[in-house]
Amino acid sequence: MPRDRHECHGCREFQEWSRRRFLGVSGSAFGALLAGPAWLPRIVLAQNERSDRDVLVVVFLRGGMDGLTSVVPYGDSNLYSPTLRPTLAIQPPGSPNGAVDLDGFFGLAPAMAPLLPAFQSGQLAMVHASGSPDPTRSHFDAFSYMEFGIPLQPLATFTGWLARHLQVMPPLGDGLLRAIAVTDLIPKMLAGAPATLPIPNPAEFDFPGRLASAAQRREVLDEAYTTASPPLPGAVQSTLATIDLLATIDFDNYQPAPGAAYPETQLGNAMRSIAALIKAEVGVEAATTELSGWDTHNQQGPLSGDMAVLMDDLSRSLAAFHVDMQNQMNGLVVMAMSEFGRRADENGSDGTDHGHGNCMFVMGGYINGGQVLANWIDGALLHPDLLYEGDSLQVTIDYRDIVAEIVQNRLGNANLAAVFPNFIPTFRGITS
Amino acid sequence: MSTKDPLVEADAPLCRTPATQQRLVDRRSLLTGGLGALAAGGSVGLAAGEPPRVRPRHAQRPRVVGPSRNPRTKYDPLILKLLKRATFGFSGETYDQAAALGYEGFLEWQLGHLSIDDSELDARLAPYDTLTMTSEQIVATYPNMAGVPVGQLTEAAILRAVYSKRQLFERMVEFWTDHFNIDILDGVCKYLKTADDRDVIRQYAMTSFPELLNASAHSAAMLFYLDNYTNVVGHAQENYARELMELHTLGVDGGYTQADVEEVARCLTGWTFAGPNHPTLDYGTFLFLPGQHDNGAKVVLGTNIPSGGGVNDGLTVLSLLANHPNTAGFISRKLCVRFLGYDPPDDIVETVKDTYLATGGDIKEMLRVILQQPVLTYLSTPKFKRPFHLAVSMLRAADAELTSARFVGAEIQIMGQLPFYWSPPDGYPDKLESWATSVLPRWDFASLFFDSQIPGALVNPTALLNSEGGSAPGEQAAAVDRILTGGALSDDEVTAMQDFYDTAPPPTGSVVRDLFGLGASMPGFQWY
Repeated sequence: MPRDRHECHGCREFQEWSRRRFLGVSGSAFGALLAGPAWLPRIVLAQNERSDRDVLVVVFLRGGMDGLTSVVPYGDSNLYSPTLRPTLAIQPPGSPNGAVDLDGFFGLAPAMAPLLPAFQSGQLAMVHASGSPDPTRSHFDAFSYMEFGIPLQPLATFTGWLARHLQVMPPLGDGLLRAIAVTDLIPKMLAGAPATLPIPNPAEFDFPGRLASAAQRREVLDEAYTTASPPLPGAVQSTLATIDLLATIDFDNYQPAPGAAYPETQLGNAMRSIAALIKAEVGVEAATTELSGWDTHNQQGPLSGDMAVLMDDLSRSLAAFHVDMQNQMNGLVVMAMSEFGRRADENGSDGTDHGHGNCMFVMGGYINGGQVLANWIDGALLHPDLLYEGDSLQVTIDYRDIVAEIVQNRLGNANLAAVFPNFIPTFRGITS
Repeated sequence: MSTKDPLVEADAPLCRTPATQQRLVDRRSLLTGGLGALAAGGSVGLAAGEPPRVRPRHAQRPRVVGPSRNPRTKYDPLILKLLKRATFGFSGETYDQAAALGYEGFLEWQLGHLSIDDSELDARLAPYDTLTMTSEQIVATYPNMAGVPVGQLTEAAILRAVYSKRQLFERMVEFWTDHFNIDILDGVCKYLKTADDRDVIRQYAMTSFPELLNASAHSAAMLFYLDNYTNVVGHAQENYARELMELHTLGVDGGYTQADVEEVARCLTGWTFAGPNHPTLDYGTFLFLPGQHDNGAKVVLGTNIPSGGGVNDGLTVLSLLANHPNTAGFISRKLCVRFLGYDPPDDIVETVKDTYLATGGDIKEMLRVILQQPVLTYLSTPKFKRPFHLAVSMLRAADAELTSARFVGAEIQIMGQLPFYWSPPDGYPDKLESWATSVLPRWDFASLFFDSQIPGALVNPTALLNSEGGSAPGEQAAAVDRILTGGALSDDEVTAMQDFYDTAPPPTGSVVRDLFGLGASMPGFQWY
């Protein structure tokens, strides 16, 4: 990856400093006491019983991923109408830089090709012309509607759909850390979730400061925060428990399964950490992370530009996770979704503006993979007469249909009314 | 968001690297890329690998602290309240100024920010040469070194927040930087944000909203960040048009439609800025290209904009938006949320809105309403310090000497809020739930800082403690509380801290450092 040499200089320097800091200065007060070369786990945990509830991983693609590029409906001839996407449409399979065929109608963008093995293994499905039914084209409102799971009504401060799922379900393990967001901030889908923390780098989640006084300082803070204003007491309780929990896992020396090559990107590192966390079986029920930058209004670059770089990151991260977690795949569901799709027609700057329907990705051992689920009416959903508001892909499958089916059939939660209030989902057969 | 930027030729640095690709690099390397280049350039900062040197600053130049600082009850609660809201946090020096001037006097002094002598800060900023350069000069002076302007602007933001005597002004700069957010790592914004910060945000932060909005709409960094420089007739590009209404003026529920977005985009076709090889204009100068403008008639928010208006179409839109009551309401509520509480009473928001409408969006007049003593006393509710605020308030309270803000910046980024690094256009969130679930990075910062583990951030806890009467037995925690907050921690917090001090394992110097770190990690220090 080409980078300014000064930036490279800076990052080396920082990494050295960072290592010193984390190994030499403020190593975990608790983890440091537990030696051992094996990455997992340094202390023996109570063995979890094999659960019939899958662990859920959600990758949110922020900015409005262009599903007409990532999963190309090349069988819809309207895609190649000269007024739709003269510069951006990826050509059918067999053409130079053409799509990688999936099923004779849909194909992957070349930069998404690393996902082909997972698709062919039957563990990866796409759901096209799907999304949130809310008409908003504001990123921020669309995040809210999709992550709160309450579209088509006035926005307020809600809890997230994943938070509500966790609220109504008993913990899978001891309940100390039920969900983790591998991001700086908690995403809205986890707003209000019990025992949930944002942990951008699980390897560095240590109690700070002088080892000799750590236990005492920790006790003071533990006590002081019990009477603090919400949500601080719960956050601190989870934080302290999680420090101990994560100290049992040696993320730095985690060895992915043979053949699993995570890209050296933020998403790649996040998926690698999530893999280590799930394999450690410490009771985490859900993990979220995200990949931003999909707001490709300008110079979208489906083959070699901005979007290609993003698709390469996404597909290689998910593909590595698929290989790495092969032995755990029967207890896992991974979903990747975006707040809305982009307009069917390109704009004047070789980019696309905000649209509506999109494509989502679902992976797991009990996912009916190897197919692209879609209601592609007459094979011509991109026909001008069928476009949403005349310019965008329709939402023919509500994303809540997909999520609800997974919540009930794979996460063992039949209380769908709590997760998606006032909504009767239609199961689409995404689970087997 | 651009890969092949037609406005910048290949000789302009970093344009060969797609913006998104940049983002994929680990955020910390990006940060130190920016700040690291600065040190590499040799202008400011520590050399690589140099250990932090703690100069016993307080031994040389003790704080002027008389016995009047002791006991805690001597602090005026109204003054403390004003300092919490109008500044980046308590410091002994700022308190003394405010106490001398009184509540109204201090507020008026802060509102007249240009007459406040800030020469001490200016001296600290003098080595940051790009701050005063045009975009053209920055590109010419630092070709292929975008990290220099990025690092300098980011470090300067920290230094200004910590050391400026124009504290309310700096709080407003932070507010408008969020409001008119620009991701400094987005393509050529690395070169253009410096001018936006100086000529838009800082220039108009305390003047009037319409002027500020107008300047932002003409800013090259904004035109680039929200893609309007590619918005041309026949192929309207609605990114800026949408965010202009949703985020900058009316608010998402401000009564506009998708059709309005498309019409505003048409009005703004041809609004761009001069590229680096422009024959006459400096790089980054606003440019209207009549040939790329949609000259047809438009309708925006029910107002007819006749054909042939040229650049006036966009100016008309800006005027319509700036004078719209929904804009007045949106800005007023946002200001009240920032200064009063997460859910300000509707009455005060209405009063501020009326002030906006009566004064043409005069920012100082709105602040006068919000920060007047009865409003702060009766209508404000506690707010959780965002990470930048937390860090700056700690540095201010501890009278830290920053020989470099570079690694302080790295730590603020780990907490999630380095200035100018928020990627989406809505700015860093100002919501409790966004920040309050993540406490460990805050404790980490407090501990690292008072343990002198952040290079370039010098602090001498023992000297601080002694200057505040903390050498007396049983008085250490109360002294730390006075230093950090002006005595605002709860009795329980102070008692627990004193118990810790009395029983913690030696050496004493370490216990003192622990005590400060603990104090800054307490719930009472997290709120303002």
